[in-house]
Amino acid sequence: MGKRSYIAAGLLGALAIVSGASAASADAPGVTSKEILIGGTIPLTGPASAYASVAKGAAAYFKYVNAHGGVNKRKIKYVYRNDEYDPVKTFDRTRELVQQDRVFAIFNTLGTETNLAIRGYLNQVKVPQLFVASGASTWGRDYKKYPWTIGYQPSYVAEATIYGRYIAKTAPKSRIGVLYQDDDYGKDLLVGLERGLGKKKGLIVSKQGYAVTDDNVRSQIARLKAKRANTLMIFATPKFAIQSYSSARQLGWRPKVYVNAVSSAANIMTIATLSSSKRQTEGSISVVFLKDPTDPRWKRDKAVALFRSILKKYNGGKGLRDVYNVYGMSSAFTMVDALKHAGKNPTRESVMKAATHLNERNNPFVLPGIAVRTTPTNRFPLAQAKLERYHNGRWVSFGPLVSVR
Amino acid sequence: MKAVARNAVRVLLIGVAIAVMIVLPSYVSDFHSRDLAQAGVFFIAIVGLNIVTGYAGQISLGHGALMAIGGYTTANLVAHHGLRDVWTIPLAGLLTGVIGLLVGLPALRLSGLYLALATFGLSVAMPSILKHFSGVTGGDLGLRLVEEAPDKITGLSGTVTIWGYTLTQNHFLYYLTWSIALVLLVAAWALLRSGTGRAFRAIRDSELAAESFGVNRALYKTLAFGISGFYAGVAGSLLVVSAEIVNPLSFTFLLSITLLVGTVVGGLGSLSGMIVGAFFLEYLPDLSDRVSRAPGVASIVYGAVIILVMIALPGGAGGALKRFSEPLTTRLYTRSQ
Repeated sequence: MGKRSYIAAGLLGALAIVSGASAASADAPGVTSKEILIGGTIPLTGPASAYASVAKGAAAYFKYVNAHGGVNKRKIKYVYRNDEYDPVKTFDRTRELVQQDRVFAIFNTLGTETNLAIRGYLNQVKVPQLFVASGASTWGRDYKKYPWTIGYQPSYVAEATIYGRYIAKTAPKSRIGVLYQDDDYGKDLLVGLERGLGKKKGLIVSKQGYAVTDDNVRSQIARLKAKRANTLMIFATPKFAIQSYSSARQLGWRPKVYVNAVSSAANIMTIATLSSSKRQTEGSISVVFLKDPTDPRWKRDKAVALFRSILKKYNGGKGLRDVYNVYGMSSAFTMVDALKHAGKNPTRESVMKAATHLNERNNPFVLPGIAVRTTPTNRFPLAQAKLERYHNGRWVSFGPLVSVR
Repeated sequence: MKAVARNAVRVLLIGVAIAVMIVLPSYVSDFHSRDLAQAGVFFIAIVGLNIVTGYAGQISLGHGALMAIGGYTTANLVAHHGLRDVWTIPLAGLLTGVIGLLVGLPALRLSGLYLALATFGLSVAMPSILKHFSGVTGGDLGLRLVEEAPDKITGLSGTVTIWGYTLTQNHFLYYLTWSIALVLLVAAWALLRSGTGRAFRAIRDSELAAESFGVNRALYKTLAFGISGFYAGVAGSLLVVSAEIVNPLSFTFLLSITLLVGTVVGGLGSLSGMIVGAFFLEYLPDLSDRVSRAPGVASIVYGAVIILVMIALPGGAGGALKRFSEPLTTRLYTRSQ
């Protein structure tokens, strides 16, 4: 049986090749003398695709920085992949970024559940998970267990605390109905609202959750109306926030609306107004920490002018009215800052150290007076915001800068 | 004499195929062997689907749902009961096999399109069923194995050591998946050559004739679903072992349709063709994505390729293989039929 022995020989040879194959070397992944490679995921399609500009704005800003010499003579290459807001895909794409593309760090991945999906893995393989684009407080709070993770924006708990306090103070007789996304993000906002209301917690007459995979929130809005709520908290992502306004309008219900910052971008509000009515969105309240490019106050602002010129040059002039682009640029500005302070030859450890020692008073994209600041035990880079009111089709901020965490 | 030579060639081909599969990971990037492992998952699932659809003639559009049961069994046992991920694979297979038997019950009364629709209903309902039992399945958010039980995931640190050999996690997943695939392939081959396999084919060709020859129709129909369910459960389990996270979106009705596409492209009633079907399922979406990033183009390419394959190879890859490997006389004989 000569053929059999051929097969056996082939198999043995095959085994030899297999055992000979070894892993590649592993020094400073993603960093060469000319380039620093970072990556992240973002929903480019799907229910949360409005957030795509969070990555696009950041990418445009990195291109601008690269055109002006880069960071310590290295160009920043930022790869972002579409995860459709599905945590399973986020994990898959992130693993690809780490193992295949060998990125230096994961940056600006958007979403609470999506980031929760990859946090355990990234901390296991010691890859920095930088400036998570989600306001869940766990990013800043649980650093002892997850030292390679840090958040960015003001926490959802903090944001809703501001709303709660404001309602308790200015409208103590409200009947509050809450629409929330039934996940860690929505629940964080609920916690904050109750914290802010304090003793007035009883003002909440109904809480209605929805799943991000749901088609619409019509039945939830109807139930809130049925509970005779006169104040509506929209703790929802843009698609569902817009639906909340239009469903309320269809039901002939016009409550006082508080809409969370992740859905209060001017362009989202414009769509919400078009799909409901001017009266429906008028008087809505939200918080703001970025310079809204549609706010006439920043018409002559240098940072907003820079924002426009960067988008024109590196993003085909798209998204000039989109505050999520501002968010992306702000986050990218902080990333550049962290890389600058991570030394001539940045390592994953040194960039983590820089990210937890931020003291950034010059970030041009956030509201004047806001500092991006962290310490190893205080990992909430942005912790200040202002209230704003929607009036005549645009946001007008009011009151002082509030600082909470 | 000719038969001996044919068998020798067959053995040689199988040996070469196995050798290729063994060395394959060394010729691609480490991460890519994870994709190859994924193809192995498809392979197991469609070999199973082929038993029930290709051999026993019962169209099932419910295999994505069966994979979900396997996948969630693994996820739940690891996340909530602290079992090591790899040991849950046989358990997931067995449980899904039992569920498969139950799915087979409607097949006793329904056949053809009606059965396809009934099983399709299961696939459509599965995500909602999973959301409903959120205590077991984690609801909408699913189960994150890395968070819940990191020490139960084999190779989370990046490498796995077995019998003194150290492999990367991706290589481990590859060899794990394809070893299981090989065992299940041989099992399917043996089964289909046995009396059970003949009974399956008899039912496929004519239920009435089969029954008049004393084939227990009810028994063999449910059995086919049960065995096929075992394969789907193992595939679903392996999918979760590799992904380390699961949610209802992992098993939509599209998966069921995809599996049927893979089986048909591979060739109904051909086991060796399934390897083509598996790689087709794994790589076609990626390749169509590469044609253009414009929205919709990838789906059109995907659909067009499937249509072209069906026109060019009506019997699937397995059918084509058979036509070229059989002697001309047999070909002429079958042609004239």
